[in-house]
Amino acid sequence: MSDTRIIKKRYIFMAIVFVDLALLLVLLPEKQISKQIKPEKLLQEINDNTRYFSTDDVAAKIIESDLFIQPIDVRTPEEFKSFHLKRAINIPLDSILNKDEKGKFVYDYILNQEVKSNILYSNGTIYSNQAWLLLRRLNFKNNYVMEGGLNKWIETIIKPQRPPVTASQNELDKYSFRKAASMFFGGGSVNVASSESSAPAPVIKKKAMKEEEGGC
Amino acid sequence: MGPLFTATDEWSFVIALVIGIAFGFILESAGFSSSRKLAGVFYGYDFVVLQVFFTAAITAAIGLLFFEYFGWLDLSAIWINKFYIGSAILGGGIMGVGFIIGGFCPGTSACALAVGKIDAMLFLGGFIGGVILFDAFFPFYKGFYKANNMGGALIYEDLGMEKQTFLLLFVLVALASFIATAYIQKRVSKKSEKY
Amino acid sequence: MEEVKLQKPPKKYMNPYLAGVLLGIVILLSFYFTREGLGASGAFKRGVAKVEQIIIPSHLDSEDSAFHHYVTGGKDPLKNRLVYMIVGVFIGGFLSGAINRRLKLKLEHSPKITSRKRAIAALIGGALFGIGSAFGRGCTSGAGLDGMAVLATSGFVVVAMIFGVGYAAAWFFRKLWI
Repeated sequence: MSDTRIIKKRYIFMAIVFVDLALLLVLLPEKQISKQIKPEKLLQEINDNTRYFSTDDVAAKIIESDLFIQPIDVRTPEEFKSFHLKRAINIPLDSILNKDEKGKFVYDYILNQEVKSNILYSNGTIYSNQAWLLLRRLNFKNNYVMEGGLNKWIETIIKPQRPPVTASQNELDKYSFRKAASMFFGGGSVNVASSESSAPAPVIKKKAMKEEEGGC
Repeated sequence: MGPLFTATDEWSFVIALVIGIAFGFILESAGFSSSRKLAGVFYGYDFVVLQVFFTAAITAAIGLLFFEYFGWLDLSAIWINKFYIGSAILGGGIMGVGFIIGGFCPGTSACALAVGKIDAMLFLGGFIGGVILFDAFFPFYKGFYKANNMGGALIYEDLGMEKQTFLLLFVLVALASFIATAYIQKRVSKKSEKY
Repeated sequence: MEEVKLQKPPKKYMNPYLAGVLLGIVILLSFYFTREGLGASGAFKRGVAKVEQIIIPSHLDSEDSAFHHYVTGGKDPLKNRLVYMIVGVFIGGFLSGAINRRLKLKLEHSPKITSRKRAIAALIGGALFGIGSAFGRGCTSGAGLDGMAVLATSGFVVVAMIFGVGYAAAWFFRKLWI
């Protein structure tokens, strides 16, 4: 070796760079990793109506026991207890952004979906739309809103109105579907509150890593 | 935001090939194609393995955390090797003995073979034999192999630290080991000059 | 170097720290693009699995094989990024050897031992590494280097064991090297 010194100057420089970078990471303020959606895109999504599921669609999916649909009730737990859709889980609007002690979203594993579609609903559509907006802003995927909310649900599925005789075939078909759905959901009777007793609460668990052989 | 491709994506094959070329090129350039140079780490006459290894690890670890900070890479989406306590400890131990006897590890032997080292060819032959043996008697230790699965355990979580703090410690330990090995290497080479 | 200088001697090796930084960047890019890091042993395991699939498919299809998961769902064990990566390692190693004039067919060993002894040691060492990397779920690169880069416990444990046991055993095998 031409240079007899053990620790050369450039190595000291290298060491300083490494320590500084690591120190910087320690000192940098905690930052919520910005996966957030761009405002322009959000605006565009607010204005188009692709986020809506009609009550008929929701009813059909629930009747078919389509497991790729997850109704989510964003109302208060009390309201949820008195009435909710079959298979729905309750995540109240005010706790939708709850975080654990590490700053991760508690309901992330439900609300940011790769596989299922979440259908948010409230009595009207104001709260469900608010929830949808919050989730979309975080770029959570596969969340939808039930059009018209529970009010429309009652109106169309639980107590469907017979269309006038002059109505089109299409409308008559719709009516017969709703009539059947009404039977399914125990409709007809006004007292729907007690028809569903078991209220599955969302279980908080760690997101399972995808099973895949990696490494070497 | 990364990772850009999943492991099953066809594109990841092309990228893997390019990354493999860079990997092999760097290993060979650093001298990892020579078993005597590699074994030097255990006898104090050449610490290139340790130097390259730890520099690479801290560079990548710092880079990954910065990538996460800038929002370029979702660290929760990358592959973390599963930690099976007993199996990992036993495997590491056997590899340690294999390293000291054989003088290579699989990656370095592959690039040593590429520059014409016959011992690397034999090492790889032995390696494949070892893999076949492992598979042939697999039922005997299948239980052990799959026991105590800790999942994709992360060391800073296990130690109850922030990852940034752990990384800083890791960098300091690595740098300290560089300084220590520089002194050891000097002393050992002086000693051998006396002979 | 005792050979007559018919050609230029091999170039010096790269500075280890520079090589380390470059290698670190390669690992980082690998994670960025493919969500996984480097790996070497996986390709050979998959190669073995492929041969087994051809010769004794019944073994690979049963749970008695450690590589059963390589073929579940009709997958081809060789259709994996690690296989492409090892091909790349060969190419990259060859390129570097060519550029730095290190391409030479030889069996490298300590002057104190015979080629034969070195050959046997390489075979045994390789076999042990094969078994070890199967238990460790990856070798020095796949389990160790990647694991340390992502701060995985498995990576640190495997590296500590490789070097710890290596140093502990070094004295017994010193005749092979010094």
